[in-house]
Amino acid sequence: MSTKTNIIQPNRQLIRPCTVVYGVLVVLTLVTWSIGRAGLGGLWVSLLVLGFALFKAQLVGDWFMGLRDIRGIWRWVVVIWLAVPGSLITLAFAFSHGG
Amino acid sequence: MRGILMDTVVRHEQARPGYPPGDLAIWIFILAELLVFAIFFAAYAFARSGQAELFNHYQATLNRDTALFNTLALLTSSYFVVRGVVAAREGNNALCARWLWAAVAMGGLFLVIKASEYADHFAAGVSLSSNTFYMFYLSLTFFHFMHVILGMVILAAVAVKAGRDGYSPDDHTGVETGASYWHMVDMVWLILFPLVYVMR
Repeated sequence: MSTKTNIIQPNRQLIRPCTVVYGVLVVLTLVTWSIGRAGLGGLWVSLLVLGFALFKAQLVGDWFMGLRDIRGIWRWVVVIWLAVPGSLITLAFAFSHGG
Repeated sequence: MRGILMDTVVRHEQARPGYPPGDLAIWIFILAELLVFAIFFAAYAFARSGQAELFNHYQATLNRDTALFNTLALLTSSYFVVRGVVAAREGNNALCARWLWAAVAMGGLFLVIKASEYADHFAAGVSLSSNTFYMFYLSLTFFHFMHVILGMVILAAVAVKAGRDGYSPDDHTGVETGASYWHMVDMVWLILFPLVYVMR
């Protein structure tokens, strides 16, 4: 096993999961767009769409940015960032729907 | 063989530091950007909660099809950037440059689509002062639009350096720095798209 193989192998192994993640992101985007195109609304539909968005952003943080491999506080930067606006948006939509 | 495997494991563990990929300075910048967008998103949502009818009415005037294409363009560009980073880690600068230029092209597609959307709105007489929804829509999306431009400039600079064989498997921090910023731009749009175009 050469040094070059040692370098290349772990990186090559990153391509397949990232390709799968890209596929998941595209599918969830199409589902979100379909919901919008169908004119669906209401609190629960909005929260479902928001849930898709937060999950997609987390996938980008974990796999594309590579944060899943990081130890310590930086591992949670995206999680915390998504939790704050995610909670506030949920609260605001609950208010507007009389929740 | 066992020694080599152990060496690989150790190298992999060493590659898992307490810091994210790329220059730490870009992550401070990314945190600041994310904070601003978080405030923007919360402001939009709470402004909407007081005028839900108005927001729903004018949201229906937006073109969700172009927003879909824009989302797909950014997602695809982010995937291309991932491939560019992998190529840089392997020491394949030429391939890295090709992936990054492809990502820049997808960013350009985003700008063209978004600019045509703005042109339609302006032709219809829409402006920042039309109403609260359009004020948020135009300012939020244009703020993001400017970030796409900055991200493209950064990626192009990295691609040019990669094209000149400027990175190696041991020194490709610049590629990861540019990639991290671009993924942040993509991530913000992933929240912006459903919030402004779909949720009602």
